[in-house]
Amino acid sequence: MEKNFIIAGFGGQGVLLAGTILANSFMLADKNVTWYPCYGAEMRGGTVNCEIVVSDTEVSSVHKQDTDYALVLNQQSFDKFVQRVKTGGTIVANSTLVAETKPRADINYVFAPMGDLANELGTSKVTNMVALGVLSSVVDVVDKNFLALGFEKVMGDKKKDLIPLNKKALEIGFDAVKI
Amino acid sequence: MESNEKVLIKGNYAIAQAAVNAGLQCYFGYPITPQTEIGEYLSGVMPELGKAYVCAESELAAINMVLGAVSTGVRAMTTSSSCAVALMQEALSYACGDELPVVLVNVMRAGPGLGYIYPAQGDYNQSVYGGGNGDYKIIVLAPSTVQECIDYTYRAFYLAQKYRNPVILLADGLLGQMMEPASFGENPYPEVDVSSWALTGAKSREGRAIYSVGPDEKKQIQHIYNLFEKFELIKKNETSYEEFNIEDADIILTAFGSMTRNIKAAMTVLRDKGLKVGCFRPVTLSPFPYERISNLAKLGKKFVVVEMNMGQMFKDVRYAVNGKSEVSLINRPCGEWLSVEEIVSAVENIYKKGACYATSI
Repeated sequence: MEKNFIIAGFGGQGVLLAGTILANSFMLADKNVTWYPCYGAEMRGGTVNCEIVVSDTEVSSVHKQDTDYALVLNQQSFDKFVQRVKTGGTIVANSTLVAETKPRADINYVFAPMGDLANELGTSKVTNMVALGVLSSVVDVVDKNFLALGFEKVMGDKKKDLIPLNKKALEIGFDAVKI
Repeated sequence: MESNEKVLIKGNYAIAQAAVNAGLQCYFGYPITPQTEIGEYLSGVMPELGKAYVCAESELAAINMVLGAVSTGVRAMTTSSSCAVALMQEALSYACGDELPVVLVNVMRAGPGLGYIYPAQGDYNQSVYGGGNGDYKIIVLAPSTVQECIDYTYRAFYLAQKYRNPVILLADGLLGQMMEPASFGENPYPEVDVSSWALTGAKSREGRAIYSVGPDEKKQIQHIYNLFEKFELIKKNETSYEEFNIEDADIILTAFGSMTRNIKAAMTVLRDKGLKVGCFRPVTLSPFPYERISNLAKLGKKFVVVEMNMGQMFKDVRYAVNGKSEVSLINRPCGEWLSVEEIVSAVENIYKKGACYATSI
């Protein structure tokens, strides 16, 4: 089993952090994992993305042409990465900023108002955690309990006070979509 | 950070922390993508440890600062990327001639010239053959995972001091930027005694000098013979490689650095299709495992070199094979790494056509 994920959005939406938390959750679940960011010109204006590959065996390419899952937080990223989802793959989109269109018939779509749900919790800063919560409800290999552990690992001891809010954001994301 | 705990860490940070664990006392560098995180990390850590961090005014200055520092017996390093490593070639020739244990990390990007920050493997020739003057050889280690970035950094510092010779850790933008679980463990190598040559002040001993120039012709000739005797010893002791499913293979995919990951995955796919494919991966690009490749070629095994340049290691594999079997090339100059699928279909084509000379994708 090898699956890859692209997480994309505006700079500032916590895309790279969400990817880091996802990758840590896989590591804590004893899987092989890689995380690879865009570090070229694209990160200097507008959108940012990273790619996570999880595997039961050694991870081969860390940067692939297509993806099993895309988690997109803005319209630009939806437009770009909807083209790179494999046939039968799934794009999970933040409908607060992404129009609910389905430009391809051969992939699955999941829309959830991640930004609105985060605002209901009091801050748009947790949009990325709501997004990961949604992802965990859609993709078997993504586990929300390991995501919570991944968050704790990334934040370390200094930012323990952020744990309750972010765990709540994960839960709200997890419950946002009925499959 | 010395423990067996697995951490998810970037290749660049892994190299930086491993250098600290290996006893790095001085870091000199100048920022360049895709390796800037190494300097960024050390700019925080080194002063806290009471060690030297200098953001030099140029790459040229940085490498020469390393030469000066290591001549006093301390462990020093610079890190950079392709076009800036090009600026350091003169100093590397001096470091070989002076027998100085310089450690240089090159996180490759695309060339020639300024090129761009995409990952690439175009500095094989620059590292292995060098751009400096005279007869010299550098030890070159090519990691393929973040864990190996740590392990080979430890090894680089050890080999540099053990043989009094520069060592290049040749990574690429992919390894520098990616995160992967890895653990630091402990630096497994012993301390090397440098007291017989280091310039530590001539208090209560004869004065010393380190130089590569010899106005005495006989001495200069002998110096070069001595250097090459040392390189022979390095070849004998330190040549290392990895191989997978070699025994029954009739085609051996060969790659260095992070491309190793992709050829191993391609091998698995091709094996599932019933093709007898193995993998060979030099760990030391210099000294290069000529002898092993030559022996495999004599058994009739064909080689397919997969690399992100226009065929640089390809030449060395052909030299090692020396007409005893066939060598093909699957390559792209830089950017998007050759995917497992591309490698698989190129190898299938090679099977269909018999050997072909080169398959640029």
